[in-house]
Amino acid sequence: MSSSHYAIELSKLKMGYGHHIVLKDINFNIKLGEFVSILGENGAGKTTLFKGILQLLPIMDGKIKILERDVTKGKDKQWLRSQIGYVPQKQSMGKFPISVFDAVLLGRWGTSFSYLKRPSKEDKEIVEETLEIVDLSHMIHQDCRELSGGQCQRLNIARAIVRKPQVLLLDEPTTHLDIDSQAKLDRTIDIIRQQYNLSILMISHDQHHAESISDRLVYLKNGEILKNVEMVQ
Amino acid sequence: MTVIDFLQVPIFQRAFIASLLAGGTMSLLGIVITTFNLTTIRFALMHFGLLGGAIGLALGANPLTAAMAAIAIGSLLFGPLTDKLKLDTGLTGAFFMTGTIALAFLLFYKAGVPALDVFGLFTGSILTLTRMDLWFIAILGTVIVATYFIFYRELQLIFYDMEQAEWLGVPTKRIRNGLLFLTGLAIGVAMKIVGALLIDALILLSAMAASRFAKNLIQLLILTSFFGMITTTGGLLLSMVFDLPTGATITLTGVSILLVSIIFKK
Repeated sequence: MSSSHYAIELSKLKMGYGHHIVLKDINFNIKLGEFVSILGENGAGKTTLFKGILQLLPIMDGKIKILERDVTKGKDKQWLRSQIGYVPQKQSMGKFPISVFDAVLLGRWGTSFSYLKRPSKEDKEIVEETLEIVDLSHMIHQDCRELSGGQCQRLNIARAIVRKPQVLLLDEPTTHLDIDSQAKLDRTIDIIRQQYNLSILMISHDQHHAESISDRLVYLKNGEILKNVEMVQ
Repeated sequence: MTVIDFLQVPIFQRAFIASLLAGGTMSLLGIVITTFNLTTIRFALMHFGLLGGAIGLALGANPLTAAMAAIAIGSLLFGPLTDKLKLDTGLTGAFFMTGTIALAFLLFYKAGVPALDVFGLFTGSILTLTRMDLWFIAILGTVIVATYFIFYRELQLIFYDMEQAEWLGVPTKRIRNGLLFLTGLAIGVAMKIVGALLIDALILLSAMAASRFAKNLIQLLILTSFFGMITTTGGLLLSMVFDLPTGATITLTGVSILLVSIIFKK
């Protein structure tokens, strides 16, 4: 566990594509163990913000710190991957079969196995434990193509936390889920948050859902922070 | 003549071994073609072959060697150009296809290259394979199997979720470009075995059929390879026994396997 007070620190962040500026002067921090949701209309800059944190897009100006380490220059990708779990909005639906076990195991690629170095017994045990936590252990040999939307999203979360990160980024995890699946996913997020002491940053379109699950809401509009609201639990 | 009688003849022995090797290994590239949306690359590379053949004839060189060289160059350029132009692989394929065929036709006209001789390169037959061809197929097959063995987890991740693979640091572009090169070489070989228009039977259909039954990547690879071997050897033997054209019979065997897989696994 890092001794830092903040999981993510963004100061005077400016980002965009070519000449098009998407984020202007973004300042906010996420405390260790805190759950923050970002809300805003399409084009507000939510996804661009994620891309900056994940170093998928270079930043134009400002600073990004993860667990007190300055990652602005994008040189610490390997370290960043070990600290951040990322669940993209697009559900991974390959055209070919893959078992639930293998799909989660692949989340550990680059930690203890890669290329000719095969996964160890410990890797496999960690995957089994993680599947237990997200309540998918009964489907371990199932082909991922046969999972429901909710199960698929729990699998994506399992894949993101199987590296044991300290920070979790969720990009609209409940989109297209029915109410029951959404409730189950919320319970899963709550369990992993406690178990791993995770700091979570979530993009959401659903204000009601974000209010029910987060500690704080950050509203983005036209690339700027409109409101930063602490939730009363 | 019975199948046993046929297999006493060296030319049929060579064809049988080639069909077994090609069917069992090149079919594995069908997974790559589907994952990277390379359906147009097959045609694009064939047109590269056409242009290469035309250049070969214009320069008085062996047109088949020139065609194969052009296919190899095309498959090497395909990945990096797709990235450079920031295009979808399907669109790059279309770009290559139209560009090369236009250049080939210009060459036919300006250098007086007989077009029919070049198009003749596209009508392959497994019975015309040389000992050298057989070695080439064996080496290419070994490289394909070795690639799947060495990069098993990386390929599994790329096939499942390219975005995550990139985020986790898998060198997706380099792996894709390597696979593209192997696919190009396999297409060149397949042109000699079944002819250009029937390449799918050898490379694509088995993976499509296998994906309906398999539950994980290992099963998919084994089943694809098995269906590939049944397609090529079955087609070859049937064509011998019933005196049918080899390429077309191999293709129909592949189509039948896919049809049965669709019926059994709707």
